[in-house]
Amino acid sequence: MSRTSLPLLLAALGWSLMPLLWQLLTSLRTAEALVLQGAGAWLQGWTLDNYRLVLQGDPPFWRYLLNSSLVGAASTGLTLLLAIPAAYGLQRQRPALRGALSLALLAAAMFPYVLLFLALLELARALGWGNQLLALALPYAGLSLPLAVLLLRAAFADLPEELEDAARLEGLNLWQRLRRVLLPLLAPAIASTAILVFLFSWNEYPIALTWISRADLLTLPVAMARIAGSSVYAVPYGAFAAATVLGALPLLALVLVFQRQIVSGLTQGAVKG
Amino acid sequence: MTLLLLLPALALAAAVFLWPLLRYGWLSLQAHSVLTALVPVPNGGANWQRLLADGRFWQDAAQTLRFAGLSVGLELLLGLSLALLLHRPLPRRGLVRAVVLLPWALPTTVMALGWRWILNDPFGPLNGLLRSLGLPAYGFLSEPRSTWLFTVLADVWKTTPFVALLLLAGLQAIPAELEEALRLEGANAWQRLQRLTLPLLAPYMLLAALFRLAQALGVFDLIQVLTGGGPASSTESLALYAYLNAMRFLDFGYAATVMLGMFALVLGLSALVLVGQAMRRRWAAAGLTP
Repeated sequence: MSRTSLPLLLAALGWSLMPLLWQLLTSLRTAEALVLQGAGAWLQGWTLDNYRLVLQGDPPFWRYLLNSSLVGAASTGLTLLLAIPAAYGLQRQRPALRGALSLALLAAAMFPYVLLFLALLELARALGWGNQLLALALPYAGLSLPLAVLLLRAAFADLPEELEDAARLEGLNLWQRLRRVLLPLLAPAIASTAILVFLFSWNEYPIALTWISRADLLTLPVAMARIAGSSVYAVPYGAFAAATVLGALPLLALVLVFQRQIVSGLTQGAVKG
Repeated sequence: MTLLLLLPALALAAAVFLWPLLRYGWLSLQAHSVLTALVPVPNGGANWQRLLADGRFWQDAAQTLRFAGLSVGLELLLGLSLALLLHRPLPRRGLVRAVVLLPWALPTTVMALGWRWILNDPFGPLNGLLRSLGLPAYGFLSEPRSTWLFTVLADVWKTTPFVALLLLAGLQAIPAELEEALRLEGANAWQRLQRLTLPLLAPYMLLAALFRLAQALGVFDLIQVLTGGGPASSTESLALYAYLNAMRFLDFGYAATVMLGMFALVLGLSALVLVGQAMRRRWAAAGLTP
């Protein structure tokens, strides 16, 4: 490590962490301490009341975390269920068709999906899916599919075709070949795809905002926006900050545990997408 | 046979991506609002005429472009620097990457709320800093001329890690021997960057630029929570305007028209970036340096 890179690295880490550390600090201070901030005020004004307020709210904060986790898990499951066979099918097409479909999928993966919310809301109303938490998994899977299929297709392409031919000669049918031969080798790519889809579904905002109105069914991003809905100039910021910290904690854990899968998912997408 | 395996995924993706666009095409030719008792009535091209003459649409389009241009530019610049930094041998590489990645992984609304406190006038930490320097407090979120810069700041904070990781993948694909060969020829770090790294990184830069441009032109969550489009609509984005038309003014026909207008903008700009890239490549092939 050279002399110049350590300060740069510390600056980069500080830039990433500083806004979060400010939230943490703010969440532990009383409203008076936040307003006064005089010299020497650092010894007093510490409190856990902000967390108590948020956790005992109606509905309690953990409810949003639970809702987001449920939607995230359902969307991830549905996406993989559809994307794995599709990726296999795509890899087995003639190169011309495969290229055209891949390009269309890439365009869809880049599409600013916020544009779609109105027509999707109409669909939800027509089908009676408003305020159905798990129904969100359908649009989320649809929106995640292009990237998921591209990532998994690239992983299938890395497997030697002789592998599947050998399994076919042994009399394994398509399902058996996938289940016993191909999917175990694809596990790392599936894990990367799954974590990216989960993160997208956990964080999605415009569709959850328009499909769900019942307070006890809100996902975390929508609940945060609703908490923020009070005036910009009001100062219950200790409670806001506590909500921010609680909302960030599960993601912090996910990123720490799955850092390798996330990075490989993002970079595979770039190298082969 | 293998085509059948593709169908369920393609059908769901088409329902989510293609159906809305077709539906908007039809809706944009209807009067469909509270004035028509929420029943669609064909109105020729009235929505499109209104769009062309709608000052708020064009103002929001300019503001969205301004936001996307500065955000994506800064993200490419900072992302490249961060990628070059992360490409060096680092202690605790996994932990470093996790920390760098964290802003990207957090829900936008969570940190938009966080930034609202950091930028708060007069109690937020940034104003605390100004005060300790003896400067007067600044209305970061209440100055129509400068507030958009702070929406850019929040966006750059959140999405630079994404760009950095894409570019890091590109850096890792460059064979170390090439760099070594240039070094032996006596090229310094800056020359190696210019002659080797940047040209080979170009496809990754293009991908990151296209992806981020499309997303930044659709900016919605961040603006809605951080500023609500204010002050005085100075940070309102096209997506927020479309949302307001649909959900607050209940004018679905016009909301669909605004969305298609925005889609045309995204498409046009992406095409522009691609054409620009192709022309640069042709010039380079002809031996001209742009």
